Amino acid sequence: MQLQITTITYRLKTETFILKPGELFTLVADFTTQMDSSVANPSVWDTQKVFKHHEQRNVAQTRPKYREGRRLKAVKVYTINLESRFLLVQGVPAIGVMAELVQLFALYGVIEEYRALDEYPAEQFTEVYLFQFQKLTSARVAKWNTDEKSFFGGQLHVCYAPEYETVEETRQKLQDRRRYVNRASQNTAKQQDRQLEESTESSSTDTRTAAAPEIQKGFEKARMENVNSDDMGFSVLPLTPVEDVSYRLHGFEQPLQLQWTTDTTLPTEDKMGSLHNAIPPVTETSKQCASSASYKKERDLIERQKNLSPSVRFMPRTTHLESRKRKLEGQAFFLNEAAETETLIGPKLPKLPKVDMEDHSLNVTTNLIRQTMSKVTSVPEIKPVQVKTPTAKPRRRI
Amino acid sequence: MAGKSRFSASDRFEYLQGLVTEFQDTDSEEAKEQVLANLANFAYDPSNMEALRLLQVTELFLDMLTEENENFVEFGIGGLCNLSMERESRDQILQSGGVPLVISCLSSNRDETVLSAITTLMNLTTAASRTETTDGAVVQCMLRFSLTQNPRLRNLASVFLEDYCTQQQVDRAREEMQGQSQSAVGIPLPKD
Repeated sequence: MQLQITTITYRLKTETFILKPGELFTLVADFTTQMDSSVANPSVWDTQKVFKHHEQRNVAQTRPKYREGRRLKAVKVYTINLESRFLLVQGVPAIGVMAELVQLFALYGVIEEYRALDEYPAEQFTEVYLFQFQKLTSARVAKWNTDEKSFFGGQLHVCYAPEYETVEETRQKLQDRRRYVNRASQNTAKQQDRQLEESTESSSTDTRTAAAPEIQKGFEKARMENVNSDDMGFSVLPLTPVEDVSYRLHGFEQPLQLQWTTDTTLPTEDKMGSLHNAIPPVTETSKQCASSASYKKERDLIERQKNLSPSVRFMPRTTHLESRKRKLEGQAFFLNEAAETETLIGPKLPKLPKVDMEDHSLNVTTNLIRQTMSKVTSVPEIKPVQVKTPTAKPRRRI
Repeated sequence: MAGKSRFSASDRFEYLQGLVTEFQDTDSEEAKEQVLANLANFAYDPSNMEALRLLQVTELFLDMLTEENENFVEFGIGGLCNLSMERESRDQILQSGGVPLVISCLSSNRDETVLSAITTLMNLTTAASRTETTDGAVVQCMLRFSLTQNPRLRNLASVFLEDYCTQQQVDRAREEMQGQSQSAVGIPLPKD
């Protein structure tokens, strides 16, 4: 508590300084004195400070359904500053289970160093550990999988501990992050271009992102998950490609589940009807939009549509469905090429849910299979179904 | 976000659009905070950045920096910190005149706000914007931060000074700081 108040006081001093540059600059001196007076043992200060970001906050109880996730989460924003290769693990029962703890965390990546933090304020009968992972992505996955989980009867509280980084490590972290983001956003742009192409070929009405191998690598490599986010719609549990998730550490009660599913709260209405292909990928025109001060998306959306997809025509739905059917059967296109990029306006007919294989070639295969199946089922059965159940032959005993 | 490949770009866009709409329409401060935090966290994922750009969320975040509610400021600058990692979003922030607003966040009394502001300034530093982002006052501020006990603050400020400022800028700032303290504390000696 004391430590936190000191920090706040320091900030106020900073504020004063910036607003009135002519004022007395005694900041550093003041700061040091304040710190000494409020901290009983200065040597404890550096490593044992209980930072605000170590604390767990209360979860938000008041989220509306559409953006409520499977797990209740607190309202918190994660930036690269908060994340770190260092993880602080609190709540470890003090029953000599350090080895098991290390085993647990080693599942998620290479650990460079770990130690018990004896001076860290801990609840009675619990211990606190610090883990240093080789990679930030490992730490992220580890945190997601272990935070709030039960461990030998206690509940772990795992958080990042960026205060243990050196300057160089911080620098490296920022550079890696920047590099990754720019590479990933280029990939996304390419992906969306490919998506547009595919939507003209594939019979699937939904535009799904094709899982191109490079994207997969991109996902796996650095940004395993964004589950730190409070976003309810798209927070997804991370893929742990290397580590075996189904480990059997006894005492660890909750099985770690590898879940690819996204949040269930995404309303299904989004997938039905409404403007699926209406949003084209970012092009130069978006910069024009960006220059306007307001963020009235509807206006921008309409403008963009006018600018970039002049070929949107209102077509009767049945015509559109027929054209797709013909495309399916591989015949000459009834409508011209431009029709392929047009949006389907209006509600779609309810149809059998089509499983998307998340891969273009697989989609093609499944569609072929579907065609064949529909052909087969439409033909009346000539041969009676022969179900030969082996009848017990009466055996004659001679 | 590996599982995101299940959702199309347009689905994502609509969801984000829904969030922005809720933010604009709701009167509840609490709901606004939640949505703002959601958006800021979404901004962490590169695959969302384009949609957020189209939705002018950078403007939304920048507007938050002048709000009374400290949570709004913290989440807003956090969102900008996340977004500014990407080149095009960075340009959008620069075009909207975001630098002075971000600099003003350096004087916040919240750790996270200041840290996000420093990182955002780093990201926003380009050849064109350098004079603005490494203004004398900013460099002085970073010098002070680099002397604090708070390790995260110290580290970030050090990286800023080492990587984004020239040695001359740092020296000049140091002189100015010392000059001020001397004139304030010491009594000027009589001329003769």
